[in-house]
Amino acid sequence: MPELMDPAEFRTALETAIKGKSANKSPFSVAWAEGKLSRTHLCRWAENHYHYVGPFADYLAYVYARMPDSFTDAKDFLLSNMYEEEIGGDRHTDLLIRFAESCGTTAARIKDPDNMSPTTRGLQSWCYAIAMREDPIVAVAGLVVGLESQVPSIYRRQTPTLREKYGFTDEEVEFFDLHIVSDEIHGERGFQIVLEHAKTVELQQRCLKICEIGAQMRLLYTTALYHDYVEAELPLSALPLAA
Amino acid sequence: MPTVVFHKLGATYREEVPDDTNLVVNTAIKRFPYPHLTFGCGMGKCARCACRVLSGAEHLPEPNWKEQQRLGPRLQQGYRLVCQLWLKHNIELAQDAPAPP
Repeated sequence: MPELMDPAEFRTALETAIKGKSANKSPFSVAWAEGKLSRTHLCRWAENHYHYVGPFADYLAYVYARMPDSFTDAKDFLLSNMYEEEIGGDRHTDLLIRFAESCGTTAARIKDPDNMSPTTRGLQSWCYAIAMREDPIVAVAGLVVGLESQVPSIYRRQTPTLREKYGFTDEEVEFFDLHIVSDEIHGERGFQIVLEHAKTVELQQRCLKICEIGAQMRLLYTTALYHDYVEAELPLSALPLAA
Repeated sequence: MPTVVFHKLGATYREEVPDDTNLVVNTAIKRFPYPHLTFGCGMGKCARCACRVLSGAEHLPEPNWKEQQRLGPRLQQGYRLVCQLWLKHNIELAQDAPAPP
């Protein structure tokens, strides 16, 4: 029988739940880090990624509306995350479009939902579903801790590669740079909310499970990007994947 | 663990922080030096987190392109964008009073 964990134990358990299925392990992420993707592959990535991260403030808005009034800090954290995604500085998706244009696609193609793969549509739908239907603390665990908090580690690995191996300029890769800072803030806020409010064994276990599923969903998404757009030109045998 | 000394509006705040702490990230989650450090976008754009480094500058990496773009000649006066810094060594910082609206 699981027992109630203190915040330090619970945080470690959440981090372990995410780590097992980290998207860093997908063939698409490995190919990216190895500098083996073409600019066309990166266009397809951006055209999909826009539809996953573009509505992030929308997902959080559903969670915000369902978060109990008395959880003021949690609501404020969510509102800050939404504000920063959209109007705190440059709109994050505008920077994604800037990167994608430098790869050779257009803003119109990126915004067109017909250009996302069925798997990306599945990930977007899952985000909306848990935002609308899950306990709001569990939803924060899934969306913010399970998905968003992974981003700094992914982009820390990918951003130097974009400059050094792919030859992008600082301005072109700003989308990735800002996420190293902003997603660290957002992920940490997510942890604070979950650690503060998941105070029963049942809720802690649900948070762990949704983190695990969120990380699986992201891995599914990036793995599908590889199969849909990259595999024909770059087989698995050409990648240094762990056995 | 680095010790951070932070001066603002005549007051001094001091605390040890974990290695690789970013003070804007910390402040955003209401940890040291919350609520004293002013920051804005957290992405090197608005420069509201700019601080003068009084000691420990030698341990910091060279200013990145955002700091060069946003701070310009203020870099020579010791200013850095705190949102762009992950701290590994002791540091003493001072932040100017925010400009009146």
